[in-house]
Amino acid sequence: MIALKRENFDIVKKEFRYIALLFLIALAAFKIAFFKENLMVLLRNVLSLFWLFILPGYSIMIYWSEKIRFLERVIAGALVSAAVIGIFSYYVGLIGLNVKYHAVILPLALIFLGILINIRK
Amino acid sequence: MVVKIRIQLDKAFLALFFAVFLLAFGGLLGYKIKHEFPYAYFASDPFQHQVRAEAIKEAGNFKYEAIYISKGIADVEGRYPPVLYHLAVILSYAAGLETYDAIYFIVIFFIIIASFMMYFIIKNFNSTIALMSLPLSLLVLSSPISIGLIWGHWPSLLAQSFLMLFFWGIAKLDLEKSFLLIALSLAAVGLAHTSELVFALLFLALFFILKILMKKFSISEIKKIATAFAIFFVVSFYYLVIFLNTWAKSETYSFKVEPIWQGNPGFYILGFGLLLVPIFIGIVLSLKRLKDLHIALILAFAMLVGSYLNYIGFGLRSFQLRFFWPIYLAVFFGYGAYAISGQLIKKWNFAAHGIFIVLVILLLGVVRFPIIKQTGTTLIPLIPQLSRSPGQGLMDAFHWEALSWISKNTEKDAVVYFFYGDIYSQDALLRNSKRVHQQVDPEDFIKALQQGEIRQEYLSEFPGDTGGRMAVRTSFFKFESADKSKPEDFHFGTRDICNFDYFVFDKVSRQEVLAKYNLFIAQELLKKDYIKPVFDNKAVVILKNNNPGDDCIEERKF
Repeated sequence: MIALKRENFDIVKKEFRYIALLFLIALAAFKIAFFKENLMVLLRNVLSLFWLFILPGYSIMIYWSEKIRFLERVIAGALVSAAVIGIFSYYVGLIGLNVKYHAVILPLALIFLGILINIRK
Repeated sequence: MVVKIRIQLDKAFLALFFAVFLLAFGGLLGYKIKHEFPYAYFASDPFQHQVRAEAIKEAGNFKYEAIYISKGIADVEGRYPPVLYHLAVILSYAAGLETYDAIYFIVIFFIIIASFMMYFIIKNFNSTIALMSLPLSLLVLSSPISIGLIWGHWPSLLAQSFLMLFFWGIAKLDLEKSFLLIALSLAAVGLAHTSELVFALLFLALFFILKILMKKFSISEIKKIATAFAIFFVVSFYYLVIFLNTWAKSETYSFKVEPIWQGNPGFYILGFGLLLVPIFIGIVLSLKRLKDLHIALILAFAMLVGSYLNYIGFGLRSFQLRFFWPIYLAVFFGYGAYAISGQLIKKWNFAAHGIFIVLVILLLGVVRFPIIKQTGTTLIPLIPQLSRSPGQGLMDAFHWEALSWISKNTEKDAVVYFFYGDIYSQDALLRNSKRVHQQVDPEDFIKALQQGEIRQEYLSEFPGDTGGRMAVRTSFFKFESADKSKPEDFHFGTRDICNFDYFVFDKVSRQEVLAKYNLFIAQELLKKDYIKPVFDNKAVVILKNNNPGDDCIEERKF
C-alpha cells in the first residue's frame, strides 16, 4: 500500500514538472498571440486559467493516470473542471454564496477533492 | 531512441499548433486580451450575453434576470443556461478582466481545448490521421463560420466544447467510474446550451445502433450510460424545471424544411471548397470502418447528420452545429488526406509532420497568389482560410463612455430614452446603461423628420430580452408569464418622451441628417430650464429631465 502511494506520489511529482513546462509554453504562446498586451496581464490570465481549469482538472484526472496519458488528462481535465465549476457556481450562488468568492473556493475544493479521491484510491 | 524522438516531435507540434491557433484568435481580439470596451462584438447577441454575465457579477448569483434586461419587470426568473455566464464572471474575478473580455475569452479558450480533445479522440483511431486532422480546426475562424463567435452564438459554442468531453467520455466507457465523466459532461452541455443535448442523444443512438449491428452490445455499458443519465438528471434537475417552463414552452418543435439559414450567412458543405476532396474520401473510407466502432468516426457521422436536421425542423440548432464542423469533420479530412498522401509517402515518421505544417500554412492564409484577381479575400482559390481580423466591432470608446456614465451616475430607478443611433438597432448593447430604457422607432423618427415635425410622442420600442419567455416563478414547478398583465402596447407603442428621466442623443451618424435631427430635438428640450445637459463627448450628449411628466417640448413644424 505504502509502495503504491509512493508510486502515485512519484507520478504526481514527475507530472508537476510537466505542468510547470506547460505553464511556460502557455505563457510563451500567449505572449506571441497577444503581443500587444502587457506581460503582467498575460501572466495573470495564464495563472488564472491554470488555477481555474488546469490544476483542478489535473487533480481529478489523476484517478485515471494508469489508463490515460498526461496530456490527454490535462485537456480532458480542463473541460471537467470547467463543467464542475460552471455548474456548481450556479447552484452555490443560488444557495447564497456570492459568485465573487467562487474563483477561490471552487477550484480549491476541486483540488482537495482530487487529492482525497486519489488518497482513498 | 527513434520512437522517443517521434513522441517529442508530436508534442512539439501540438505546442506549435496551440500557439498558432491562439494567435489566430489573438487577431480576432486585436492581439490584446484587455480592451477599453467590448471588442469584436458584431451583433446584439454578444452584448446580450456580456450584459447578463455582468448582471450576475453584480447580483452575486443568477436567481433573477436584471431589471434592465427584463423591461423593468422585477423577479423574472433567470432562465438562460447559466454555465457560460458563471465561468465568465469567475474568470473576470480571477484574471482581473472586465466581463466583456472574460466571456469572449472563455468561449475561445474552450474551442481550442475542444479541438485538442478531438485530436485525442482521433488518436485512438490513428495517431497520424489525428495530427493531419488538427489543422482543419483553424477554420473555426474562417468566414462565415466565425459568425458563431462574432455574432455571439457563445452558449452553443461552449456547449459543443462540452459535447467533445461527452464524446471522449463515451470513448472511455470501459474506464472505472466513467459514468461520472459522462454525467458531468451531459450536465455541462445541458446547462451551457440545452438544445445541444439533442445531438448528444443522436450520437448515442448511432453508437448503440452500430453496437447492436456489430453484435458488440453490452448490458454493462447500458447500465453505465443509464447511471450517467440518472446523475445528469439529478444534477440538472433544478435548471431543467426552469428550462421546461420557459424555453421549452416558447420554442416548441414544428416540422419545417429550412435549407437556408434565413437572414444569416450560414455555412454550407460546399464552403469547404477543394477540401471536400479529402473530406469526401475520408467519409467513404470511414463508412467501411464504422464496424470497428471508433468514436471519432461515429461522432463525425452523427454531427454531420445532426447538422442537416434543418430539413426536418431543427433549423437554427443544426446551423449552429456547423460552427464546429472544422472540428467534428476533421477526422474525415485527416483520413482522406492520409489516404491521398499515402499513395506517395511510404515512411510517415517526419512526412506526417511536414504535411501538418503545410496544412496549417495553407489554412492560415499566409500564402498569397496575387495574380488570381477574382479572389478578393481568398488568397488561394477554392480553399477556405482564416479570416483577417474583422475589426473592433459595433462598440466604440465614446458610446461605451456614455453607457458607463449612465450606469454609474444616474438614479437606480431612472428611465432612459434613446433617440436615434446607428448602433442602437443591436439593442442589447443599450442594457449596458444598467437602467430601464426605451428607444425611438427609427422608422417613426425618420417619418417625423421627413414631415418636418418636432413631437412629444414617438413610436418607441421597449428593448429587453424576451427569449424563452419572461417568467416569474410562483412555486417550484409553477411559472407565470411576467408580462401577462401588461398593456398591449407594452413592448412597442407610442411614448411621451417627457415621461423619461434622461435622453440620449447621438451627435454623429452615418446619415448626418439623422444626427442633426437628434440635436435639433435636444436643443428644443433645452429650452426648458429643468432640462440640463449632464454628459457630453464627441459622439453622445445626455440630457437630464428634472421634471418628468411635464410638457417638456413644444410640438411644432420646422
